[in-house]
Amino acid sequence: MTTKLTLTGLKQLLLPPRPNTGSADIAAIRARALFQAPEGAMTKRGGNLAEFLRLVSLFEDLGRRDLARVARIVHEREYSDGEYICEEGRPGAALFIVRRGVVEVVRRGAGAQDVPLALLEPPASFEESAAIETGVIRWFSVRARGPVSLLALGKTDVDGLILNYPVLANKVLVRLAGIMTMRLQMLIDAELHRESEERAEDKA
Amino acid sequence: MTAASSTPAGVVMKCLVATAAAAISVYLVWGLRSFIVPAFVGCLLAYICRPLVARLERWIPRSVAVGLLLVLFASVALVGFNSVRAAIPSEAALLELRVRALYALNRHYRALMELDASWSRGNRLYQLIHRDLDPLMDRVSDVLALTPDEHAQFVASRDRSTDAVSARSDRLLDYERANAYATEMRAGRTGRSDAAPKTIGGSASSAPATSVPKNEPTGLGNVLSAWIIAPLIFPFLLWDTGNIKRGVLSAVPNRLFEPTLAVLADVDEALGNYVRGIFLECCALGLTVIVLISIVGVPLRWAIAIGIFTGASNVVPYMGFAAALVSGLTYALLAEDVHSMLPLVTPDTFAVWVVAAVSLAELLKNALYEPIVLGGAVKLHPLVVVIGVLGGATLFGPAGMLLAIPTITIVKGLVASSARHLRAYGLM
Repeated sequence: MTTKLTLTGLKQLLLPPRPNTGSADIAAIRARALFQAPEGAMTKRGGNLAEFLRLVSLFEDLGRRDLARVARIVHEREYSDGEYICEEGRPGAALFIVRRGVVEVVRRGAGAQDVPLALLEPPASFEESAAIETGVIRWFSVRARGPVSLLALGKTDVDGLILNYPVLANKVLVRLAGIMTMRLQMLIDAELHRESEERAEDKA
Repeated sequence: MTAASSTPAGVVMKCLVATAAAAISVYLVWGLRSFIVPAFVGCLLAYICRPLVARLERWIPRSVAVGLLLVLFASVALVGFNSVRAAIPSEAALLELRVRALYALNRHYRALMELDASWSRGNRLYQLIHRDLDPLMDRVSDVLALTPDEHAQFVASRDRSTDAVSARSDRLLDYERANAYATEMRAGRTGRSDAAPKTIGGSASSAPATSVPKNEPTGLGNVLSAWIIAPLIFPFLLWDTGNIKRGVLSAVPNRLFEPTLAVLADVDEALGNYVRGIFLECCALGLTVIVLISIVGVPLRWAIAIGIFTGASNVVPYMGFAAALVSGLTYALLAEDVHSMLPLVTPDTFAVWVVAAVSLAELLKNALYEPIVLGGAVKLHPLVVVIGVLGGATLFGPAGMLLAIPTITIVKGLVASSARHLRAYGLM
C-alpha cells in the first residue's frame, strides 16, 4: 500500500472507522499516525531471516551481503499472548521488528486502563528511537496479541554497524531518518486534519 | 511465580538449589583456577582484536582476517622468544655481570656512606640506618658473590687474545678481588661465618641450584598445558559473529531482555574504555621513559628494553614506576661509560639523573596521560586497587595481578549497571 500525504488519503489511512472512537481518544489518532507502518509494510512474508529483513523498510536499501550481516546481529524473541514487549514509563534499549503475529500498541488511560492505539503486523517496526539513543522513556506499551515472533536490534548492535560497516549503517540511518520524518509529517497532517474537523463541527 | 514455589517448601527448595549452585560454582572456579587466567587472557586478547577483525572484514573474509591475526601473533611471539633467548647471557657473561654488579654496588654504597677501609665506620647517614641496611646489603652480596667453583671458572674464562680484551679482563679480575675483599670485610664486621665459605671454600649454593632444574620441566609443562587454552579460545571468539551474545540473550527471559542489553552495553563500554585507555597510557609512558633516559645517557637499545618493560608493567597499577626505577637504576649502577646528551651528567651522578628521568616520566603520566587518555575509565579507590592486585597475585600469581584491574572493572560495571537498569525497568 502506498501512503499518499493528501488529506483524503491520510483520513483513510489514519482514521479507519473504530467502534470506540470518541473525542477523548485524540491521542490515539496521533499515535496511530506515528505507528502506521510505512509503505509496503503489510505485504508478503519472507522465508529466511535475510529475506525477511529485505521486506523491512529500514533495510530496503541494503544488498544481499549487508542483509546477511544484519541477520547475524539481530535477536529473535518469542512472546506469548498478552505478554508485554515493552512498557510505558521504562527506557527503551532496542528497536523491534514484528516477524510473525500481531502486536498491539497501547497507552495507559484514565484508571490505569490500556487504551489501544494501533495494531502492528509483519514487517512493521517500532521503537526506532531506542536504536539510536538509549534512555528515552517510552510513552506507550506494546503487547503481544497471540503468539508473536519479533526481531530486536539493540543500540550497541547499531553502534557496531556504524563502527564496522559505516556504509551499511549509513543506509540504515538514512532510512530511519526518512521514516521518522515521514511519521512526523503524518502526525502534523493528522493534527491539522483533526483541528479542521473540530472547527467544522463547531461551525455546524 | 507459581503457587507451589511461594510455599515454605518451595522457598526452602529454592534456597537449597541456589546454595548448591553457588557451592558448585565455587568448586568449579577453584578446581579450574589454573585455566581461568589463560582463558581470561584469550578472551581479553580476542576482545581487543575484535574491532580490528571487523575492520579487516570490510575487504577480506572473516576467516582470512582471523588467520592473518593468528599469523601476526605467532610471528610476534617467535620474534619475542628469539629476542629473549638472544638476550639471555651465557654462563661466562652471567658471571661477569655478577662481578660487575657486586663491584658497582659496593662502590656506590661505600661512596654514599663514606665507609672507611674496615667497612665499619661511615658518615651520619650510615650510623642512622646501618642496622637495617647492612643485613640487606649482606643478603644481596651473598646472592651476587661468586662461589669458589664459579671464581675458578671466571678466572679461566678470561680472554687475553688482544691488548684491549686483556685490559678488560684484568679490570674484571680487579673487580672480583675487590668484591672478595669487601665480602671479607663485611664478614669480619658482622662476625658472620656463613658469608665467607661461599667465597672462599664452601659450596652452599650448589645444593639448591641442582634441585631447581629437577622440578623445572614439570612446572613448565603444567604452565604450558594450562596456557595452551589461550590460543585456542582466541580464534574461536574472534570467529564468532555475535552467536555467543545472541545465545546468552536468548536464555534471558523476555522481561529482562532490554535491561540485559543495556547492562551488556555498559560493561562493553567500560571495558573498552579501560582497555583502550590503559593501552595508550602504557605506550605513552614507555615512549616517555625511552626518550628521557636516552637523553640522560642510557644507550638506545637498553632504553627501548627498559621502556617496553615499563610500559608492560604499567598494566598493574603503581608497577610501571617501580619497574622503570629498578631497571633504570640497575643499568645506571652497572654502567661504566656514560655518553649523555647533557653535559651535567657524570658517571658519579648518572644514577641520580636516571631516577630524575624516571620520576619525570611518572609525573607526566600522572599529570598528563592519565587524565587525558584514561580519564574516568577506571574510577577505583586506591585501596580497592591494592587489595585487588594483592588478591589476584595470591590466587593466580603474576597473571592474576595483571588481570585484577580489568576484572574489577568488569564486575564494578556489571553490578552498577545492573542495579541502575533493574531499577529503571521496575525490576528491583
